[in-house]
Amino acid sequence: MAKAIEAYVNELRETRLWRSVFRSGTGATSLHRALAVQQNIFLHLFSVKMRRAALNVSVTWYLGTLSLATFLILVSTGIPLMLYYHPSVPQAYADMKDLQFVVSAGVFLRNMHRWSAHAMVLLVFAHMFKVFYRGAYRTPREFNWVIGVVLLIITLFLSYTGYLLPWDQLAYWAITVGSNIMSAVPLLGQKMRFLMLGGNSVNANALLRFYVLHCVILPLAAILFIGIHFWRIRKDGGLYTGEGKTHE
Amino acid sequence: MGKIREAWHFLFGDSARAFGTLSVALVLLLAVVPVKHHFREWAQYQSRYLQLIRQRGDAATLQRRFQGGLRQTWLPELGVVDRCTTCHVAMKEDSLADVSTQPFRPHPPIPHSLTDFGCVMCHRGQGAATTVEEAHSSTKAWEQPILPARYIESACGQCHQNALVGTPQLNAGRRLLARYGCVGCHMLRTPDGVQVAATDEPPPLTHIAEKTTREWTYAWLKNPQAYSVSATMPDFKLTDAEARDIATFLIEQSTPSGAATKKASLAGEAQEGASVYGEAFCASCHAVQNAAGLMVGGDIGPELTRIGSKVKPEWLDEWLRNPKGYAAHTAMPRYRFTDKQLWLLEGFLMGKTDSDLLANVRLDAATKEQAVHGRVLVNERGCASCHEINGVNRPDNFAPDLTVVGSRSLAKLVFAPGVAHTLPDYLAAKIRQPRVFGNQLKMPQYSFSSAQVDELVTALLAQTERAQTLPAELRQPEQAVSHYQPAGKAGKLIDDMQCFSCHAINGRGGDMAPDLTWEGSAVDRQWLLSFLKNPNTLRPALIRRMPKFNLTDAETATLVEYILTAYQTPAFDADSIDANKFTAEDREQGRQLFYSRYACQACHIVDPQNDKGYIGPTLTQVGARLSPAWIFHYLKNPQVMRPGTVEPNQHLSDENARGLTAFLAAQKGAKK
Repeated sequence: MAKAIEAYVNELRETRLWRSVFRSGTGATSLHRALAVQQNIFLHLFSVKMRRAALNVSVTWYLGTLSLATFLILVSTGIPLMLYYHPSVPQAYADMKDLQFVVSAGVFLRNMHRWSAHAMVLLVFAHMFKVFYRGAYRTPREFNWVIGVVLLIITLFLSYTGYLLPWDQLAYWAITVGSNIMSAVPLLGQKMRFLMLGGNSVNANALLRFYVLHCVILPLAAILFIGIHFWRIRKDGGLYTGEGKTHE
Repeated sequence: MGKIREAWHFLFGDSARAFGTLSVALVLLLAVVPVKHHFREWAQYQSRYLQLIRQRGDAATLQRRFQGGLRQTWLPELGVVDRCTTCHVAMKEDSLADVSTQPFRPHPPIPHSLTDFGCVMCHRGQGAATTVEEAHSSTKAWEQPILPARYIESACGQCHQNALVGTPQLNAGRRLLARYGCVGCHMLRTPDGVQVAATDEPPPLTHIAEKTTREWTYAWLKNPQAYSVSATMPDFKLTDAEARDIATFLIEQSTPSGAATKKASLAGEAQEGASVYGEAFCASCHAVQNAAGLMVGGDIGPELTRIGSKVKPEWLDEWLRNPKGYAAHTAMPRYRFTDKQLWLLEGFLMGKTDSDLLANVRLDAATKEQAVHGRVLVNERGCASCHEINGVNRPDNFAPDLTVVGSRSLAKLVFAPGVAHTLPDYLAAKIRQPRVFGNQLKMPQYSFSSAQVDELVTALLAQTERAQTLPAELRQPEQAVSHYQPAGKAGKLIDDMQCFSCHAINGRGGDMAPDLTWEGSAVDRQWLLSFLKNPNTLRPALIRRMPKFNLTDAETATLVEYILTAYQTPAFDADSIDANKFTAEDREQGRQLFYSRYACQACHIVDPQNDKGYIGPTLTQVGARLSPAWIFHYLKNPQVMRPGTVEPNQHLSDENARGLTAFLAAQKGAKK
């Protein structure tokens, strides 16, 4: 049985259709494996080879991967949530109520999104601490550390912008307080606050702005910087496994 | 220990096992979603309902009408999304009236369609919710829990600014708001933007020193109800010194009214004075507390039980001669009393004293400091919100705006200890004992009964944000305020005698006496002349009757001429039926109709010897009073001629109405 399946899969891999998609061909040689990674759009960001030690849990605690996983959960729950949500003042809260009471698995979707968001912030921080205390930010990875800091800020802004969208008291006051803190910036404070809220108070314009930031601008920026981040891991010599084991 | 290690190895021994274990865990975790979906609360109620109706006689009909699944009333223009009917499935099933278990009781009959308004418009609660807890009593993510049933009339008040027959509690609450000075300090607007005006006519204090003393003012400020049980003035909880200083200031700011101050008449015979009081029907507006503590009289003017302890005799004389000379906007008519009548009446009123009232009032001599402090207090306490005071402006926005108080968010309220955290309880506590919310608060202490508190809360709960944003076609405005003002000399007379205090004309005026809008079509000139000279001829048995105003002949003629010319109905010509054309046959036919067919004698009296009807007016002289044309048209359709009359519409044929008219027109009373 198992052999029959294996034979069938091997046969499948030799078909023209398969080969037109996966051009690296079959084979267990290092070349084949390297090609399989290099020629795949999703995998080509990564090194074609990596040290087995880098896969040990203790090296990274998989914190970066877990951050990515929560990000993927957030995207995949966020898109269905967008189907039920209108970023308009009276409707936004009513949509929360619909998700809570009427939409099948609506509460599940919202909770997944919310808890994943919390988890992502936590994981990103943990990831940074791990990188920092293991010294993985040092040359040649200092630029990737900077990218990481940018990604941290994007993560925090995603959380902050998402917080307003339910349009409840908690949201309203959190954003009011947050934007007031922003206005304390010397000279530019008031202008920045006005720009962010689209007005002088948290209102319909702020809701729309936060919605666009949360669902379009910040996710796109996150994807872009995640791409650069991963690409730099490869360019900087793969995952950092410890002192003396990395390239100069 | 070994077992745990074994289990760990079994589950996470290698990466394939760990992957498998975590996958199973994830699937189980996700399975929670469909399980929870299956056990939805409302689905349980619907299946219980189906069990309930299965045992009933009309099971097939009920079953057919039942619509399962999520139900909702969606009214976008009202912002209503009510899913209450998902559980309350039998709202319209009148045959289930005997079912007592909720949520399956049908809705009691109301004048509106349930589907036109939804549920939350009236009952509050969270309409979008599909769980009992959230829908009924959520206060965290939804600030309006279900409204207790005893305030339900407030819901009607959101659209209906007019007084409805079915909402006595709401109507009473609204009257209280206007009468007890609430709207003196608080802004209160109807959804049409009209500011609710006070109806208690607080007296101006600009000439108060002419009227009363510093001692009385002090006693009054300390406890208004001690002077007059029915006083609408609340207790401001003033200390002795504060009351003294305000009294000093009020007396000091007083200016002369400019009305001629005559030497006070001396006290007359109390007995004769009482009869002047009675003949002038003072009791129609003013009340006096009798020995049993009951109020006898009307509530338009102030209570007079202890008037002698309050006013100065000079002032009383000046006031009775010309009320407008003292207070330009008073509702008090100018009676044109003779000097003798005045003498008797003043004696009678000044005799109404209460020796206890001022017995313990010993005030220090008035000083400049007192007056200065008094002025500060008068400003602080907002006295000028209701009373006109020299040199003190009416404060703006003195107290919180109550226009949308019925939607006030609980998060923004500060509750006193022991007050339940709901809006109705908050409002009731605020009205009952404002000072428990803080001693520095300015709201005075009223002495409302708990029924009155409920009425006030009901009226306040009607002031919702939703009421402000209702579509125009749902708004039932208050009856438009008429500013009708009769012209010329007659107009001045009507003003002078304050006819509008009792009579309404063209939508303006009181409802104590008949509406006079079409009086000119109704009455006979000769009768009207003699009636104005001596009003006691009509309905002598009534307690509230038209007072005698001592009009001169010229004044009477002016009034009669004006009434007969200006107050004509457009519906018919007053001279269209000539009483002289009626034959004896007509009258006989009318008599039979009166006594046999329509049995009018059940309510009316034509023959004082035999008839016993006391519900309607006596008709022995009706022919002398009313024009035949009026009688005819009134009989044809009483409610059109006199809206609100209890006279039934008998749907008379023209012939029968004519016969009755002939009979009644002949009733001219005893020949003099």
